[in-house]
Amino acid sequence: MTQEGKKFSYVQLLETNNLIQYVADESYWLCLTRTVQESKLYPVSAYILLSYLNAFYRYPELLRKIETRMKAEDIADRSRAMGVKLQASQMTWCLPAFYLLGRELLLSYGLLRPQDAVEDIVYVMDFWKRFQLSWQRNNGHLSNAQAGHRAQILPDRTLEVFCADLFHCQPGDKLHEAANAFMASASQYAFLASCESRINLTNSGPYRIDAHHELLVRDFMDMGECSLPWLDGVAAKVPFNNFTVTMSVRDCHFHLIDDWGSFEANPAFTADKLAGVGLYVSDSLSDGYIPYGMGSVTELAETFAALNEALKEATNELWLRMAAWSRDQLLDAGALTYFTTAKELAHVAGVFDVSDWLEIDPRADCFRPLLNDEYGNVALAELVGKLTLPSQQRSPFTMAKFADRPVSMCTPIPYSILSGDDYVPSTGPIQAGGSSLPPKADRYRTTRGTLTLSEYNALAREHVPEICTDPYRFLCETWVKYNGHTPLADRLYQLEQRHSRTLRGRGSNPRGQ
Amino acid sequence: MTDDRYAEAPESILVEATHNAIRDLARRKLAESGGDWTGLVQGAVGASLTRSEVEGVERRLLDSGYRFAWSSTLSLRDRPEIYASADGALDDATFCFRHPAAVVAPADETGREQKGVGDNVVQFAANVIGTALYVRTSDKVLQLMREGVGKDTIAIIDDSGGTLTAPILSQFVAVICAGGTVRSHLGILTREYGIPCLMNAKLSDIRSGDRVELETSALARPVETYQTGEELPARIWKLP
Repeated sequence: MTQEGKKFSYVQLLETNNLIQYVADESYWLCLTRTVQESKLYPVSAYILLSYLNAFYRYPELLRKIETRMKAEDIADRSRAMGVKLQASQMTWCLPAFYLLGRELLLSYGLLRPQDAVEDIVYVMDFWKRFQLSWQRNNGHLSNAQAGHRAQILPDRTLEVFCADLFHCQPGDKLHEAANAFMASASQYAFLASCESRINLTNSGPYRIDAHHELLVRDFMDMGECSLPWLDGVAAKVPFNNFTVTMSVRDCHFHLIDDWGSFEANPAFTADKLAGVGLYVSDSLSDGYIPYGMGSVTELAETFAALNEALKEATNELWLRMAAWSRDQLLDAGALTYFTTAKELAHVAGVFDVSDWLEIDPRADCFRPLLNDEYGNVALAELVGKLTLPSQQRSPFTMAKFADRPVSMCTPIPYSILSGDDYVPSTGPIQAGGSSLPPKADRYRTTRGTLTLSEYNALAREHVPEICTDPYRFLCETWVKYNGHTPLADRLYQLEQRHSRTLRGRGSNPRGQ
Repeated sequence: MTDDRYAEAPESILVEATHNAIRDLARRKLAESGGDWTGLVQGAVGASLTRSEVEGVERRLLDSGYRFAWSSTLSLRDRPEIYASADGALDDATFCFRHPAAVVAPADETGREQKGVGDNVVQFAANVIGTALYVRTSDKVLQLMREGVGKDTIAIIDDSGGTLTAPILSQFVAVICAGGTVRSHLGILTREYGIPCLMNAKLSDIRSGDRVELETSALARPVETYQTGEELPARIWKLP
């Protein structure tokens, strides 16, 4: 209980509280349009609460470990060139929200005061802010919500390739049918693989193609034998871990892409509006997006069809595995799915460790006996929907954003610690934990083949995508606007076009302007 | 812990009782450790709560005669002693929902009786007709995986999750879900599959085997209406 050696200033606390309130408001809006997600298979609410607690106790140290190798903003720069779990919802919402909601639960348990763990809180929120600002550097916002529920992440050069390489399709043709069947099966499998969550799915965009078409980028992630141990074996026939589908959609405006990566369109998006499609794979070892099955219309249709069969088979096998699990296993898998939403940070930095990411910390695990189905459902509903926990009540004069009531989902840090109030700086080191699940097989599917973890980490530490090296890294969209006809811009665009069927070698002026 | 000027008790009695018990436990641990608050926050051995102490909280709730409501059938399977029993067998062929909010109407000129309403996920050109089938347990899903799904089956599903029916969802001609919103997982998945679906359904007296018609030609319910409270019900009829 000391304030000696404080590591933060008034301005840092002001900024941290701003970020906390931002997450609180947006989380309420996101939760408003969904009921508490119940499932007859998974004890969803219970595992969500367990994951929040695990996140609170473990994220600070794990993020600090990652930053010993690579800064948050550097990881985000790399993330724009791959469709992995470093987008919305994983980073844009889950990372700060899970951490803060774990804190809120512990406040409600009386095991924490608002000023405790302040150094951790300031650090986690700063990490998140740096990541997000870098991830969204092409649109200058902190989140999709701040950008008006829009996720315009990618640079012009990537979008130019995505659009040029689309294969056109229409209802009734083989590609149209195969692409839609794949997306349905992939969505189904992704919900199952992520234990009844949408964490393995995301959408970004929309990007304007022309007056009648918009581009939506859809990512299906952690589909193969990845760091989620329950996919060992069942996903052996899934050839890659992350699939990016680029879709041109006709006469349909995606008016909302939220911080969970979900979309809304007007008129509603239905399969018949799909007008063009592409398919890519990527991960932390790939140098950008790699076209997959994109040699011809026929090849792409066959690739989608083969993937569809592989995913259906994996879905059936995985469902049978999960249906035979004990409740503790369901609870652990669900909690770890949520908790590991940020694990790709460690893969990019080459510091992934099974004991860091695939264990429940004993400080969180001790609450397991509370987490029956009913408590899980009602406590989660109060925490994120009704905002009726004692710590969430505010002065009766308060009219909260969206809620219009004297409430807030998350508690700010009290400034009084700057004038002498005592606090505990940190929750301290992570503690050796465990899980009731079978251990993770030392097998990770990547774009460079199936690797052991030590091979994977070593390659990740060596790998620097060319786009993230000098002189390219800081050649942003503003630079391109004023330097589009220079040889350096040509080289920048040619890097992106290396795998393009239609634009390879064209450089920065493919439209012939 | 200090006073809280604005605090009110949680809405749920179970949450209040559970949190009060944990707070009492925390106070006791703090006193036993001689006021080691840092140890309590950091989970130091001896200063922090143990799993067995937290198990005591559950035990006291159960000793009072309370039994928890279950939502996962696998939770009920593993620890039936702590959960309130199910209302009859979950796969009882005679089961039917009787939601108080179900909107019903007498038979129209064609003999259709309105037996409920739901939120339409996607507007289709025509209504869907099929045979109702409750799918409420993993055992039922296993049976359907083995025996196949009837060709015009309309699944009636309790919850808005997308995992219980994962291996068979694509085989239904339509889905009625008694929970969620059009944005819930099951809503998203049926939209991907192009399967007509009514979410947030309120039903009365529809049983497995009944022929039913879903008003999937109704307007899809916009997400914004969950904030405004505007209802846009699509009707569900039992056919003669």
